[in-house]
This record gives sequence, C-alpha cells and structure tokens, in this order.
Amino acid sequence: MRFLYIFLFCFIFFFLAEKGIAQEYLTERGKVLFISKAPMSEFTGESSQLQGLIDMDKNLLDFYLDLNTLKTGIGLRDRHMRENYLETKKFPFAEFTGQIQEIPDLKTGETVEVKAKGRFKIHGVEREIDVPGTIKKKSNNELALKAEFKVLLGDYNIAIPKVMFYELAEEQIVKIDAVLKIK
Amino acid sequence: MLVCFGYSQSSFAQLERKLATESQEVDLIFHAPRHINLLTVEPLDEKTLHFAIMHTFGTLDGGIQNLFGLDNGAVIQFSFEYALHRNFSLGMSRQSRDKMYNLYGRYHLLKQTQDDQMPISLSFMGAAGVNTSNYQFLQEDNPNFADRSSFAFQLMAARRFSDKISLQVSPMMAYFVDPNPIFLVQGDQNLYLALGFSGKYKISGKSSLTMQWIPNLNNDLRNNLGLGIDLEAGGHVFQMYFVTSQLLNEQYLLAGGNGTPGEQFRLGFNVNRVFATGKRKSNW
Repeated sequence: MRFLYIFLFCFIFFFLAEKGIAQEYLTERGKVLFISKAPMSEFTGESSQLQGLIDMDKNLLDFYLDLNTLKTGIGLRDRHMRENYLETKKFPFAEFTGQIQEIPDLKTGETVEVKAKGRFKIHGVEREIDVPGTIKKKSNNELALKAEFKVLLGDYNIAIPKVMFYELAEEQIVKIDAVLKIK
Repeated sequence: MLVCFGYSQSSFAQLERKLATESQEVDLIFHAPRHINLLTVEPLDEKTLHFAIMHTFGTLDGGIQNLFGLDNGAVIQFSFEYALHRNFSLGMSRQSRDKMYNLYGRYHLLKQTQDDQMPISLSFMGAAGVNTSNYQFLQEDNPNFADRSSFAFQLMAARRFSDKISLQVSPMMAYFVDPNPIFLVQGDQNLYLALGFSGKYKISGKSSLTMQWIPNLNNDLRNNLGLGIDLEAGGHVFQMYFVTSQLLNEQYLLAGGNGTPGEQFRLGFNVNRVFATGKRKSNW
C-alpha cells in the first residue's frame, strides 16, 4: 500500500513538474549585441544565436552564447577576436546562470522591470553579476526579455590590443533581446 | 522517493552547452593571403579587397657600403585581390621587373576544421601574365603579345598543426610561351616545375616567424629559400624577410633564378592590407 502511495506521489509530482505548473520558456535565437566605445573608434558585434531558458517556477535563468557566432562586420577583426582575445577554441561560451531577485506577477501585455543575480562566465573566468532588465509577457506562451549590462574586460583576463586598427574599450556594453517560448 | 526527486532535479538543470557549428573552420592558418613570395590558402571575406605591396632589394653582400642592398633599388610588385565570394577571389598584380602584369584567381576548395573532420585547407591558383617591356629596339624580333605571355598554376595544401605551427605545401608550375633571352630571368625553358613549402611559427598574438623553401623539380636553377617575420600592426600585416629571389611574380619566381642562401640573401618586405567594401546588415 505504501508503495502505491509513493508511486502515486511520484506520478503526480512528475505530472505537475512536466506539464501542470512547469513554466519553462526557451529560445535558441536570442539576440546579443556588444558595443565597444573607445575614444577613437566605436564598433559593435552581434549574434542572434543566444540560447536561453527561463523557468518561472523554479526561478532559474540560464543563458549561453557560442562566441564563435559573434560578428563585428570585419572578418579579420572577428578572427583576431576569436584567436587572440576571447580564445574561443579554449573558451567557446559566454554563460549566465542565475535567478530573478523578485519574481514579478506577469500579466499579458505588461512590461515589468526585473533584476537578475547570477554567475557570468567568459574566457574561463566566472563572476557574480547583477543584470537589470525587463520581461514582458507577450502572450500565454511567450516572454520577451531585454537586458543590458557591462563587462569589464580586465575582470575576465581578456587582453586589450594595443596597436590595432580598432581600439577596444575596456568596458563593453552588452545588450540582450530575446523572445522565449514555452516548452 | 530519492529516485523521484533525483529525476525531478534534472528538469531544474541548465541547458546543455552546444557549439553552433560542429565543424568550426580553423582561423588564420597564415596571417595574410601572401607569405614571403607565395600565395596561401588564407581566404578573403566576401566583398573585401586585399592589397599587397611587395619589395625585394639588392643582395646583402655589398654590406653597409650599399646599405645591405637597399641602394640597388627594389623590385616592386603591387597586387590587388578582390573576393567575389568567400571561396573565390580575382586579382591583378604588376611587377616592376619586365613590367609584368598578371591576372590571377584563387579558389578555396577545402577548409580545415577544428574537429579535423577536414584535416587540411586546399586552394587552387591560376594566373596569366604578360611582359609589357618595350622591346622596339629589337625591330622585327620584337616579341608579340602571345610570345610575351606566361602562365602559372599552383595548388596549395595547408594545415594548422597547432596554435603555433602552420605548414603549406604548394606544387607549382610556370609556363612561358616563348622564353626569350631578353626577358630578365635566368631560366631558358618553357616549363618550370617546383614544390613550394611555407611555414609559420607563431611567437606571439601578433607575430610569427616565417620560412619558405621552393626546390625546383625540372631544372638546374638554384632553389628559393626565404626566412622572415610577420608582424600584425594597425590592421596591416608586415612581412619582412631574407630571400634568395629578387623576383615576385609567380612565373618569374620559378624562372628567375636565386642567389646563394646566406651570401646572396636579399632583404624583402611586403605590406598587406584588407579593405572591407559593402555594407553589413544589422539586426538592431
């Protein structure tokens, strides 16, 4: 009899976890933009292959980007970025895993400001960061997420090129724009 | 119960980290489309223009008196190469010696990938050129356009063996329609065959030691040997080297003859620059 209870409990638990209350939103094509604003030259790099998961129930945020997909518009600059600065062969991903600090009560069509706290990892270095952003419930099964944060290259042991045809700013602004759909 | 929670824990899990492309192409096998005297497998991005200016000076054995050959004047070649597609580019070059114009194309057949699905990069080069020197003083012997023409073909197989070491092997041929003795080359054959070896050893993020060796296969001309350094700075790739050949054009390189390595080395340098043309699309 006890087994049956456990079995039932498990069954219900699975059922709830998987279907009933699970609110896992996913994307495979979120957009990422970084802006490098050095005194003499400004350039941006972008990718639209941000992979992301927002789980409203378990309050889990998990995003990662294959840094090889970042494009700055100049192929040679991309190759230098991959080879000499981000070292993507060794460290292919930029990752963020964290939580929303106060889970908002989302109503369809409403944009709410949120703050995420978590660990950001790039170039093999992991740091605790806060990311402010907004979440909008576009419909019952779609969330739109926007966020912006700064990355100091020195914090992640990323060298800054000295004599190059592009100047690289120490502080990079990173913007995220993604629409996540329910699983 | 534990199994139960164990299972449900897994749905808390993070996303599995996966690369966007399984077979990522290997970047920067060489610093530039040119490497001392030879073309490389290094492709250009679509709609970019590669400009190279190449020089070789007189032999070093004149010493300081001739400023190590710089006083003897330089053979200069300009080349422009435009990528119509990421695998195909068309170029034009002009060498000062014999006022030699060359039209050439490079096609990239294979590209080495990081997972070694494709272990090498393979490219093909074909060139047709004409010597435009003024030979009017020869009167009726003045060679016509066809007689002034020459052709070159080259297959380039390269591999980046590690972060530091890249090697390229290039079977090469050059064909002169009429190897007129008035041309400033040492060879007197129509057909020249050679095997080019190019090597790069990276010493820092922006510099590498370079070498080339081009043994001739069907003639008694001296083999070409070159040693140098590549430096990236300010968007340019500077290539400085000691080399035995004074000539820069692909056909002339094989027919031109070489000095003795060590004694008759020459200083040479190339400047490479890539210009992007066209607009990029942004999603923002």
